[in-house]
Amino acid sequence: MQILLVEDDVLLADGLRTALRREGFSVNHVATGRAALSAFSAEKPEIVILDLGLPDMDGLEVLAQLRTGEQGPQVLILTARDRIEDKVSGLDLGADDYLVKPFEMPELLARLRALERRTNTAQTSTISIGQVVLDTLTHKVSVDGAELDLPRREYMLLKALMENPGRILSRESLEEKLYGWGEELASNSIEVHIHHLRKKIQTEFIKTVRGVGYTVSKP
Amino acid sequence: MLMAIMTLTVFLSALHGYRSSLEEVQQLFDSELVDKARLLAIAGNGGSVRGEVVSTSDQYAFQVWQGGDILLRSDNTPLTAISSLKEGYQDTNFNRYRWRTFTWFDPARDRRAVAAERIDIRNTLADGIIMKSVLPVMATLPVAGLLIWLIVGYGLSPLRNLSEHLRSRRAEDLRPIPETLQPLELKPVITSTNDLFGRLEASFSRERQFASDAAHELRTPISALKVHLHNISKGLPAGDHDLAQLEAAADRMGSLVDQILALYRTAPDQYMAQFGDLDLYQLVQKVIISIYAQFEQRNIQLELTGKHTILYGDQFTLETLVKNLLDNACKYTPAGGHVRVSIAADNAGTRLQVEDSGPGVSEDQYQRMFDRFYRVGGDQHYSGVIGCGLGLAIVKHIADLYGASIDLQKSSFESGLAVSVLFPQQTRFGPAVNNNKGR
Repeated sequence: MQILLVEDDVLLADGLRTALRREGFSVNHVATGRAALSAFSAEKPEIVILDLGLPDMDGLEVLAQLRTGEQGPQVLILTARDRIEDKVSGLDLGADDYLVKPFEMPELLARLRALERRTNTAQTSTISIGQVVLDTLTHKVSVDGAELDLPRREYMLLKALMENPGRILSRESLEEKLYGWGEELASNSIEVHIHHLRKKIQTEFIKTVRGVGYTVSKP
Repeated sequence: MLMAIMTLTVFLSALHGYRSSLEEVQQLFDSELVDKARLLAIAGNGGSVRGEVVSTSDQYAFQVWQGGDILLRSDNTPLTAISSLKEGYQDTNFNRYRWRTFTWFDPARDRRAVAAERIDIRNTLADGIIMKSVLPVMATLPVAGLLIWLIVGYGLSPLRNLSEHLRSRRAEDLRPIPETLQPLELKPVITSTNDLFGRLEASFSRERQFASDAAHELRTPISALKVHLHNISKGLPAGDHDLAQLEAAADRMGSLVDQILALYRTAPDQYMAQFGDLDLYQLVQKVIISIYAQFEQRNIQLELTGKHTILYGDQFTLETLVKNLLDNACKYTPAGGHVRVSIAADNAGTRLQVEDSGPGVSEDQYQRMFDRFYRVGGDQHYSGVIGCGLGLAIVKHIADLYGASIDLQKSSFESGLAVSVLFPQQTRFGPAVNNNKGR
């Protein structure tokens, strides 16, 4: 998996390069926006980690230019700017994820894995947490090696939860993921799906955070 | 004050005037007495008749003596001499009254004429004359006083308005004073005050800007530090003590930077309040989702109770408030404990409560907990928790912006602290900083 790291802080870039290479990514580092654009057109990386505060041009401008191509890369913005407006404008311009400095390295890796799975050339299409393994390519789920036969919505629900281990997904956000716009749904449909999933997998695999939503613990 | 001085001055000058007028009137009366005596001495009869008696009004009396005999006397004098008959003024008593007498001696004819006037009547007359001139002054005094009071009051009203305006300002309000509607005389004062405000404002904002920039700039090096620590951790056995300490220090730096930025952004001039109707329940859900990792890490049961409640507020400040309360609750709750967030609305307003099952805080510590950089038990806190002591100070700061009150008590768990923030029944005018009172 080819990653283009655009970061003007040499100290941080050096650490990131080491960490990412250890995780099996191939990393090319550039420190300016212009260098990023030329490196991008030469190498066509699958993932770009983009800092917004670049010395020669604003990271958002770089993002806009990256996004003009038909098959763009997955872009993760990694920045010190934490204002809601910054985040919104970054995501509006087509960034796939947004992480604010200072960040936890495992968090960054988890997000890169999620981006990696979205690219077609993903080497690993499976997510495994505990005894549960979910394959995003074949849509197969197995518990303790035994394959489960899940209805589409239960599979999507489980996938959403497993793609975000350690994070709570609210009922509303799960509904958005599962149902199309304007689709009629019972107010407790998510609860019903969760209930079914719990019967098929271990009961405690999906945790309820009362009043907020559901979560699957990190492996 | 002014009135008192006025009255005293007028009174003293009236008193002084009264005394000097009295003296003058007495002198006038005296010289009249001299004339009368001379007239008597000259015009008295030729001495043919002795002991003639003439009736006069009560207030005058006279006697004319020729040698030892009385030539002429008024009917209200006795047969004896009414004075010592020495030339000059003399005060004597006869006929039950006190009299002022003057004796004129005509040596050529050996005659002595004594003219007398009753002193009490003289005084009454003198008083009457003087009072007539003093009374009008005394009578106009209250009127003059009232007029002065009104005029001075009117003249000082701009100054009073100005001081009222300055008093009603909040300490951090450094906006210039509006120059309109102020009288010309106050312009220089206002201009220089505004000038001072401007310079103060500029230096405050420079200071804040510096803190913000510094905090912001620290984020990248802290990130670098954490990434390198992560890399080092890969080559060390899990749970290495030194590494854990280093990681804790890096985390602490990171949260300090976050807190400084939050404090800066909630400063009145920075937080461009984007007020609107917010669902507090949804907002808390969002915050919980964003910081859930730290709860999960320590296996703390987190729950949210209550229902959707609309609050008129600004997202960033409210999120910061909720986040800080939750951070604190998480930090001070032992692994496997409970944290409960509840939202309730009633007539008093909207109440947000965060309860934990930690060790709690003794009541005498409650007040100090809002001080910046204060940490219960100091840095030796049993939990060895990373913290910088800014959290509750920020909560307080934001609560103040909303006019909300914070209440600390025991939580409903077996032990622990409950922090509740009561947002008062909402006005539509936004937070206290936008309040235009005094303008």
